[in-house]
Amino acid sequence: MSSTSVPMSRLSDEAILARPSVSLWTDAWYRLIRNKAAVMGMVIVIIFVLVAALAPWIAPHDPLKINDGKGYLPPPWMPIEMSVTGKAGDPRFFLGTDSIGRDVLSRVLYGARVSIVVAFVPTAIIVIVGVIIGLAAGYAGGRVDNFLMRITDVVWGFPDLLFYVVVMIALRDTPIGDFANGLLLLFGALAVVSWVGIARVVRGQTLSLKEKEFVEAARSIGTSDLQIMARHILPNTLSPIIVMTAFRIPGMIITEAVLGYLGLGLRPGTDPREFFVASWGGLMLQGQSALNAQPWLLLSPAICVALVVMGFTFLGDGLRDALDPRMRGTS
Amino acid sequence: MGQFLVRRLLWLIPVMFTVALITFVLMHAAPGGPWDRDPGRRQIDPATQINLNRQFGLDKEVWFDLDALKKGDLLGFFDTQFITYMIAGTVDGEWRCGFICGNLGPSYAQRGMMVQDIVLAPPEDAPIWNSKAGYSIRLGVLALLIAVLVGLPVGIIAALKQNTWIDYLSLFVATVGITIPNFVMGIFLIIIFAVWFHLIPVIPKDWSDPRYWILPAVVLGVNLMATTARLTRSSMLDVMRQDYIRTARAKGLAERVVIFGHMLKNALIPVVTILGPALVGLITGSFIIETMFAFPGWGRQYVTAISQRDYSMIMATTLVFALLIQLANISVDFVYTMLDPRIKLS
Amino acid sequence: MKKFLLLTVLVVAVLVVACAAPTPEKVTVKETVVVAGTPQVVEKVVTAPAPTAAPKPKVLRVNGGAFPDIIDPQKSSFVGEIAHLHLMYEGLTRFNEKLETVPGAAEKWEYNKDATQLTFTLRKSLKYSDGSLLNAMRFKFSIMRNINPKTAGEYATITNEIKGAEAWQSADLAKTSKDDLAKLEKAVDASIEALDATGKACKTGKDGYAQEDCLTLRLTFGAPAPYFHTVMGIWVAYPAKEENITAGKDIWWTSAKYHVGNGAFVLKNLEPYVRARFEPNPNYWGEKAKVAVEYSYITDSAVSYQAYKNNEFDIVGLAAEDLEATMKDATLSKQATIYPGACTFAVMFHQEKEPFTDKKVREAFAYGLDRESWVKDVLRGLGSPTLTWIPKGYPGYKEGEKRYSFDAAAAKKALSESKYGSVDKLPPITLTFSDTARNRTRNEWLQKKWKESLGVDMKLNPVDATTYTAMTKDSKTAPQTYILGWCADYPDPQNWLSVYWKTGAFSERIKYSNKELDKILVQADTTIDSKTRMELYAKAQDMLVADAAVAFAWNNVNSYMVKPWVKGIKTTPQDHWFPGDTTANTVDIDLALLPK
Repeated sequence: MSSTSVPMSRLSDEAILARPSVSLWTDAWYRLIRNKAAVMGMVIVIIFVLVAALAPWIAPHDPLKINDGKGYLPPPWMPIEMSVTGKAGDPRFFLGTDSIGRDVLSRVLYGARVSIVVAFVPTAIIVIVGVIIGLAAGYAGGRVDNFLMRITDVVWGFPDLLFYVVVMIALRDTPIGDFANGLLLLFGALAVVSWVGIARVVRGQTLSLKEKEFVEAARSIGTSDLQIMARHILPNTLSPIIVMTAFRIPGMIITEAVLGYLGLGLRPGTDPREFFVASWGGLMLQGQSALNAQPWLLLSPAICVALVVMGFTFLGDGLRDALDPRMRGTS
Repeated sequence: MGQFLVRRLLWLIPVMFTVALITFVLMHAAPGGPWDRDPGRRQIDPATQINLNRQFGLDKEVWFDLDALKKGDLLGFFDTQFITYMIAGTVDGEWRCGFICGNLGPSYAQRGMMVQDIVLAPPEDAPIWNSKAGYSIRLGVLALLIAVLVGLPVGIIAALKQNTWIDYLSLFVATVGITIPNFVMGIFLIIIFAVWFHLIPVIPKDWSDPRYWILPAVVLGVNLMATTARLTRSSMLDVMRQDYIRTARAKGLAERVVIFGHMLKNALIPVVTILGPALVGLITGSFIIETMFAFPGWGRQYVTAISQRDYSMIMATTLVFALLIQLANISVDFVYTMLDPRIKLS
Repeated sequence: MKKFLLLTVLVVAVLVVACAAPTPEKVTVKETVVVAGTPQVVEKVVTAPAPTAAPKPKVLRVNGGAFPDIIDPQKSSFVGEIAHLHLMYEGLTRFNEKLETVPGAAEKWEYNKDATQLTFTLRKSLKYSDGSLLNAMRFKFSIMRNINPKTAGEYATITNEIKGAEAWQSADLAKTSKDDLAKLEKAVDASIEALDATGKACKTGKDGYAQEDCLTLRLTFGAPAPYFHTVMGIWVAYPAKEENITAGKDIWWTSAKYHVGNGAFVLKNLEPYVRARFEPNPNYWGEKAKVAVEYSYITDSAVSYQAYKNNEFDIVGLAAEDLEATMKDATLSKQATIYPGACTFAVMFHQEKEPFTDKKVREAFAYGLDRESWVKDVLRGLGSPTLTWIPKGYPGYKEGEKRYSFDAAAAKKALSESKYGSVDKLPPITLTFSDTARNRTRNEWLQKKWKESLGVDMKLNPVDATTYTAMTKDSKTAPQTYILGWCADYPDPQNWLSVYWKTGAFSERIKYSNKELDKILVQADTTIDSKTRMELYAKAQDMLVADAAVAFAWNNVNSYMVKPWVKGIKTTPQDHWFPGDTTANTVDIDLALLPK
């Protein structure tokens, strides 16, 4: 942008707006770390990210090691009367073993890698795409809105499952499909079909917000459309975005499992150094049919998913409050 | 307004056509075909397969028949699988009207049945709402009601009592509701209500008894309930801090009027946006819930159809779903204008 | 708070469903009342009796599995479909609890000298469940319908031994003229003769079906087929009524009123995906059934197991996951019914894809598979290891096969003797499977164990079920190695060996071909003396094992939970949906043992 084309008044205006925006973030950060729930959420999320990254070093066993004759062992700390199979646990396997005697704890820890990545990466793509399309459609209105919303109708309408079948099978043997046991392919497939919900919500909010007084005011002083969207509308759509994002996370983890259930899962790794060894979703599926024999196969990943979502929700709520311009200086 | 409606309804056609086109491409790109059955079965022999292909019109070109065009047969050029399914064409030498006539096509997996027989026709001597679609619609509406009637109040209360134990409890319940996959929640609820307390049997005897509907509806609706509660709470919190709420309170309006007249109305926009399409999602049901509760709905037809490559059933389910989604989105746009009269539909 | 929530949910739910559902108390009943000689339908409003007050009939409540795609004798192919058919219908022959072929609708049968002709004599005055006559013309219609290319069933080829059948069955309907088709049909018509007491052909059409002395059915084969009386015991020859199929069109099988059969049971009610109810057929010629059978369609084994424990089912399948807990429980362990099944599973090797082109490599993989451990650890005891093809309980089973049993040293030796010489020189190997949670664990185990015994590092490739079928169906796309099973259609070694392993038959998928074996099989199939025949099949199976074409791995077992009040069960490996359903008419319920 050449500075000559910008009128003086505009420049000074930007300078005024720019100053608080620097402190906005510091201010927000202080408010965030003063919010106990948000800090707790942040800690939970960080812990899980660390677990995912450090799985090979903290897992007590090789997650793929088969222990013959040790299938469905209960956790050692469970009283033997509670064990339906009448078997006692083995102190080496803190959460017991699965059907072929693999250590559940190690598998859950390794599962964090795939599940955390599957939860966050496609979700991030979805949020970015959804917000951009929603903002553009809602703010521009008219033809642009109509066109973008008809595209969302199409994406919403077409069968995502069939899309997964085609993508996961047709592209499996390509280098993309082979990368990280097919994880990249899964990201792409999940992201392509899932942005529509957020786009519609953001667009709905924008339709209402752009008629509000403060937007009128901003427009009247000559603020550019991009700035209005970024500075006035987007912050006000954050709360539904955060809620929907937090709730998309378990959806993604479970979708990965359900795809496995439908025969479209990731290629299982045969070496703990490979990226995909186990996933929480896969463990839950395995655990569901063994609910009687080894409930921890189901419970431990389920608890992990719940913790991640809870942590993310706390953090998200805190972020929203911290970024809320009307909350500035309070609490 | 009327003009808007007409325009949106006209838009249905190209959107549906695009959805159909994409689905058709995907369907034919997926490996295997309708005659590749479960690996545990004996497969149809090649000679029979040729005859079956013809019987079902699979011997024709998928998109356009260039050979027919070269022969100067313009009608033959368009007499392809796609056009036959969507509009009209010949199947085994006989003319047949397609989707536009309400013909959803012959099922490949449940041979001998038309898709409309499978999903829309009730079992013998039963009323129409006992068809698979009827069952699914009833369960979907019930699940939506549970989601809204529980989710909305919980969200409002949580917002009004922000950062109290009620707020945290609601967060906890919502998180549990959304993180436990429904295949797990289903079996837990069955164990609690049927095995421990004997309130209902595990296997529903007769779906005309309302008690049997509760569990599947709860499991189906719980996800939306949690989302509704959280979404309501967060947008209520947004609205509560707006100046006009302060003004309303300052004017001395009753708290009830402030909450329902001013706050809720403005807070509902994101909630309404997701509820419309969510209802469609609930109606088309859930494979897992229907399997678990032996529920005779439409949802599992769709998943089974995809894995069996039952082309007609895939197309029919997709197109009906796409149609409903669009109608839901049109209604949502109308509701926007009711909630906020400043929103203009163009 | 929580309580309040729950209450709201309950109230709302009750309200909504109550609006949608018909009120249960008043029902309109259509009654046919004869008024002055003419039947007429009168509508009456009566109060339905409270469901609890009804007297308790003997009902055997069984959870089967998935609702069938089609219940039509000449179009069905899947075990769940057949589980319905064989209650309602009976073939010319049937199988007893020892899987011997015994008289069914036919009281006797006879081959001519060179076994190119088979003559059935039907029982006199056989009746359908509606009291109408069942004669040889009905069976002729069914067999013709199975061959007719327009029917296009999965089992169309199973009757191809009949002279002319193959040509008609495989005719391309578009390229064959009407006249040619009629000719082909006529040729088959001549090979399936329904004859009356004097040996003359029965009348045709409606009169034929009413002809009481039309009791002889003579089949003529293209080549000797001394096993064909056994084939006539399976569902493809079940005599569904032509007029019902015509009246009900393509969907006749969905309606109980068209399923008029000759089996021990009658279909009373079929509610898709919910339940089917069968009642004893009063017109069945043999021992009358003692209970009504009710099928439910719960595919989730955890749910059905809970329902069983809640006394909502009398019989359910027992999943491997629940086995240990069941066996630990004093009462439940007595209710577990576990016995051999009808299938053999093997790890398939593609004979024309590297490295399995080399017999030594195949041997190495066969030696390297610990089947005992597989059954114990992976199948959790629900299965039995095998080193041969025909399973225990079937004619032709070979006791004490020892070749290629687990031996890590022999495995390594075989690999070093192969043309590759050592593991690291093997081309990449991929183990392909149809992706389910269970198959994942199984194949991960296989991969790991072969790595331990052979040092080979295989890749795993999960694909969805239909892709798997499409891949394995064609030898070009068939994976290098994968697990596949074969289950008996009828108890005869011909079904195990000739139908599968002859060049060009099912084993074509892995390009297996052994001319020597083909020769012996052809000889066995056409030998009339049953002892010599069995010896030839034994020899063939011997050669098959020696070829190490595949690694035979395990036989399935049937595993069920059966309530103590269910009596009279005679199990066979061939059972479909509940133990003893091959002879379901002997199953009874001891009302004294029923809980209140």
